[in-house]
Amino acid sequence: MGKMVSEDEEAAVRARMPHYDSADPYKLPALMPSSADRSIRSFDPDDFPAPGHRSDEWRYAPIDRLDDFFHPFTPSGLTEVSAAFEDGTPVAGPVRFGRADAGSCPAGSVGKPVDKASAVQWQASAGAGRIWWLDVTGSCDQPVIVRLAGHGDGLDAVHLVVTVADDARADIVIDHTGQASLAEGIEIRTGARSHVNLSSIQEWQKGSRHLGSQRIEVGRGAELQHNVISLSGSVVRLRMDPDFAGPDGFLNMLGIYFADPGSYMEHRTMVVHNHPSCRSRVIYKGALDGTGARSAWVGNALILPTAPKTDSYELNRNLVLSPGAVANSEPQLEIENGAIVGAGHASSVGRFDDEQLFYLESRGIGVDQARKLVVRGFFADLIGQIGVPGVEKQLMDTIDRRLARGESSDMARILEED
Amino acid sequence: MAEMSEKTAIAQNVQETHVLEIRGLRAGVETKQGRKEILKGVDLTVRTGEIHAIMGPNGSGKSTLAYTLTGHPKYEVESGTVLLDGTDILALKPYERARLGLFLSMQAPVEVPGVSMTNFLRTAVTEVQGSAPSLREWVGELDEAMRRLRMDPRFANRSVNEGFSGGEKKRSEILQLELLKPKFALFDEIDSGLDIDALRIVAEGINRAEKADHFGAMLITHYTRILRYVKPDFVHVFADGRFVRTGGPELADELEQTGYDRYLPQGKSESALA
Repeated sequence: MGKMVSEDEEAAVRARMPHYDSADPYKLPALMPSSADRSIRSFDPDDFPAPGHRSDEWRYAPIDRLDDFFHPFTPSGLTEVSAAFEDGTPVAGPVRFGRADAGSCPAGSVGKPVDKASAVQWQASAGAGRIWWLDVTGSCDQPVIVRLAGHGDGLDAVHLVVTVADDARADIVIDHTGQASLAEGIEIRTGARSHVNLSSIQEWQKGSRHLGSQRIEVGRGAELQHNVISLSGSVVRLRMDPDFAGPDGFLNMLGIYFADPGSYMEHRTMVVHNHPSCRSRVIYKGALDGTGARSAWVGNALILPTAPKTDSYELNRNLVLSPGAVANSEPQLEIENGAIVGAGHASSVGRFDDEQLFYLESRGIGVDQARKLVVRGFFADLIGQIGVPGVEKQLMDTIDRRLARGESSDMARILEED
Repeated sequence: MAEMSEKTAIAQNVQETHVLEIRGLRAGVETKQGRKEILKGVDLTVRTGEIHAIMGPNGSGKSTLAYTLTGHPKYEVESGTVLLDGTDILALKPYERARLGLFLSMQAPVEVPGVSMTNFLRTAVTEVQGSAPSLREWVGELDEAMRRLRMDPRFANRSVNEGFSGGEKKRSEILQLELLKPKFALFDEIDSGLDIDALRIVAEGINRAEKADHFGAMLITHYTRILRYVKPDFVHVFADGRFVRTGGPELADELEQTGYDRYLPQGKSESALA
């Protein structure tokens, strides 16, 4: 405080300030306790408490299998990072891609790390110069594919910055394959009035671990379709922290996951509405098959006092295909603004629909075939909403291969080997 | 009666006749309050070429009969037999019954998101026939069947029953009937929720399929309206879990006048049950 104020003056100021009344919390929504005030944002890992099963942040994750992600490390460099157009030609024209210095690209400017693992990842990536920048300065007529190919278990760190210019249109795919233990940070900033379709696909080999943090800023009047498709890997935990750079943005988040025995898939969508008249849709759906298959979805929509006319909705659905699989689903809403269009959420964990199966069976379709049709349909319905034909085909091929695995042990062996 | 003799004449032209015999069928559901018996001794014989209208009040067990015959897991059979050409089908899975030639047109066909109608229909036809139809023949047959039912060709690429209107769902059921060519078809309130034009298209479909494939039909309905278009050989009154009266087409007209109250247990009336 620069200027001295008398106690009386201070008391008078305080009396004029609105006060939070816990007996009537909705009287002044802007005064409600906000997760924004509690959340730590820092580049320094020491600013975050050690992850524990009791912390909200880490309570579902198998943290004993992730301990190395929480301590400073030197990246193994076993993840190969490259980019090309979908047809295999090198990126050119309005698309630039390359390794960058922290100073030469906007790394760290979209958002600070949001948890211990992402702060450790930031340090490791910045320290070893493992930062890449994809910069899209104009519209491109075919998808840009960024490949992260894992070549081993040594813990690696990669930081990727994606920027898209004002008014640009682009389809961007970040494709994760191979064997890896990867700490990943992605920052995404889309320009005003841009239309971006960005997919993060996880098709890791068995035993792979992937902890990712995506900080996302949707441009003023821009539309971002953000797709996350996690189909394989031992532990995949991705946290998305999107907000808006200005009014009238539309964020459409689609998540698809398929967990099988021994795999854990966690997705967190922590949407912050910080500007007026923005829309957000979060639809995350997954299937779990087999004993020990586990998943978690935690979604939050925080609607700040600065975001009147917000329209938000989040939904999570889980299809448990066989006994012994566990799906956690946790939708949250924090509404600190009384003048919004809508804020809704829905969440469910269900088994196979007996009525669907009976309908198919009553047409002569055998039990196994009927189950496969229903599961294939579950994924086809979602994958069809991605909007990038090449990606949709790749993913349906994977689903068909996974479903074929159940058909004969010989087939399963062949597929396990590759 | 002229109607009936004409049908008999057709029946004699067809080489194969099949018979479905329901004997002393008792079935029910498990509820929180314990077991609830719904079918209380059902007897009926249906031959190919015959159309049986099964009429009765709400809650009498008509739909349960349809589901029990086709093997819905919710319904448990206590006793009785159902023979299709001498084979007891009660021990068979729903898909095995379908492959033997049983078809159920459902009152509320289920949506199966992400499964296209073409994929579903071709899979079903392949399973029921035992081999995949040749692609060229299949596409032709599907197009023709859809055209006759006045269905939009784009319909084939939509997910099974998803977002279909009431009329579209029922037409989709008739499309399946025409492609699967069953020996016996059950229609569970195929007339519910249909406007007069849709009802006519659906009824035409049933008559056309009946003529072509000569199946035995059980037409479950609450109202006599559809019987103006699909002429029954027999009309049965189903009340409180069993058949209580059987007659010719004239029985439907009588029911139109008198209602179902006289067939209900004492002290209950149709309006009270609804």
